Amino acid sequence: MSDSKDQDLNPKEIERSAEEILRVFTRVIESLPVEEETYYGQELVNPLRPDGEPSPPSVRREFRKCFISIMPASDDDGKLRVEVARWAR
Amino acid sequence: MGTLEKIEAIRNGELSATENVELALERIRKLNGKLNAFLEINSKAMEEAGEVDRMLKAGEAGKLAGLTIAVKSNINVKGLRATCASKTLEDYVCPYDAEVITRIRREGGIIIGMTNMDEFACGSSGETSAFGPTDNPAAPGYIPGGSSSGSAAAVASAMCDLALGTDTGGSIRNPASHCGVIGVKPTYGLVPRQGLIDLGMSLDQIGPISPDVPGSVLLLEVIAGKNQAEGMMMDVERVSYGELNGGVKGMRIGVSPQFSNLTDPRITGVIEKKVEFLKDLGAEIVEIRLPHIEQALSAYYLIVSVEFFSATRKYDGRKYGKRIESVCGEEVLRRIMLGSYISRREYRGRYYQRALQVRTLIRKELSLALKQVDAIVGPTVPKLPHKLGTRLTPLEMYAYDYLTIPANLAGTCAGVVKAGEVNGIPVGIQVQGKPLGEEKILRVMRALEVESSKSG
Repeated sequence: MSDSKDQDLNPKEIERSAEEILRVFTRVIESLPVEEETYYGQELVNPLRPDGEPSPPSVRREFRKCFISIMPASDDDGKLRVEVARWAR
Repeated sequence: MGTLEKIEAIRNGELSATENVELALERIRKLNGKLNAFLEINSKAMEEAGEVDRMLKAGEAGKLAGLTIAVKSNINVKGLRATCASKTLEDYVCPYDAEVITRIRREGGIIIGMTNMDEFACGSSGETSAFGPTDNPAAPGYIPGGSSSGSAAAVASAMCDLALGTDTGGSIRNPASHCGVIGVKPTYGLVPRQGLIDLGMSLDQIGPISPDVPGSVLLLEVIAGKNQAEGMMMDVERVSYGELNGGVKGMRIGVSPQFSNLTDPRITGVIEKKVEFLKDLGAEIVEIRLPHIEQALSAYYLIVSVEFFSATRKYDGRKYGKRIESVCGEEVLRRIMLGSYISRREYRGRYYQRALQVRTLIRKELSLALKQVDAIVGPTVPKLPHKLGTRLTPLEMYAYDYLTIPANLAGTCAGVVKAGEVNGIPVGIQVQGKPLGEEKILRVMRALEVESSKSG
């Protein structure tokens, strides 16, 4: 394995380039038609279902609601609230 | 010698698995110093070859018996390092085999070593590796493409028989095109990802890279199929592509004018000749429309940055490896920053959800086009590879991915076969198919390969 060259990174410059990319890419997509969101390219089999079929979107939305309802702790928006580890305090 | 001829030679006893491994190790000793395709060699390869020879004698040879397989350094191979070509994981010795490796070993394939790549698969040139860039054996001094740079270079220089790469936005197809070899991105969910160190979990697929189409078919048949331990898999037990030499007569092949709008005219010229050839073979050429193909790039980079940011949160330097932000290279840091920004609650709707909506748009367009045809053909990469060390802006670098990204966003399959050359640099033709349409795209690829071998 050959050694890497020491990189002299400039985080500020990298951050600026990231912001520029975000600006350019957001501008490109902002005028496109509004659609339902796609999280995965395919409707895949759900092995937890005995029939082996993918869950329909309505069931998946329902699952999310159920999941949030049984989370150990959540905020007003339904986001999972996590505890900071004691050793980190 | 083609892949099938080599298998036959090994089965007939004309070449032993041990001799085949010796040949590969000799090539690696001779060439790897210049190409930097391998990051680590399997020190147990000879021992494993001896075991395969014993099985061959006992008549228990698997489909890959005695073939040497190179593995991209983001796939777990027990006892070897999966570094992702990053200082973050330079000391990470894999504690287990990824599911695809288990399947390869079961069929007698011998893992010859771990290949170089763009750091954490963030790149399309093979230059962002923390362990130095890979050279292109087919066009020395030029980038081999990425991110599966080492796997493509290893196959192109015959340092191994077959290789595994991974493809999130073109990372198998792009280097296959630049190095003049075969590469296949399978349908999302066809090949197990258990044991893959992910870049974008909703886009990543492991796939084969090979010197000929039968080699990719063989490796894909071994690694594809449902794994009960994974939730995101197609309901397919095993695959078998028997009709490979069926030809293209009567097939409907789609071409899109949007491809040439984005592509170097010299590359378009090479591709158009191959389209004419398919027509001569009896395929019907159909014009299809993909009006938003250019915008797919923007959606892809917003989505992949969020998924990559999420995937890298485990590299906090506590359990294994080093803290990623402390040791990573420029492109990895840029994507982490981008992903972190987009993931913030106040920006999520504006950027991430919007990108996921564009993903739906691309998926619908590609799906509609693929309903009209059996396969779509076009260029793989819109521009010729640059010389190693040339400084490009991030947006110039991302532009390599315009034509490969749609298949990842839509979860469809696509493969690449060499179409010709421009100034001595290989140019690959991309063949795209429906979900689980691998058999048809492999048939088209095989027809193109046979024609190329005839025309010399």
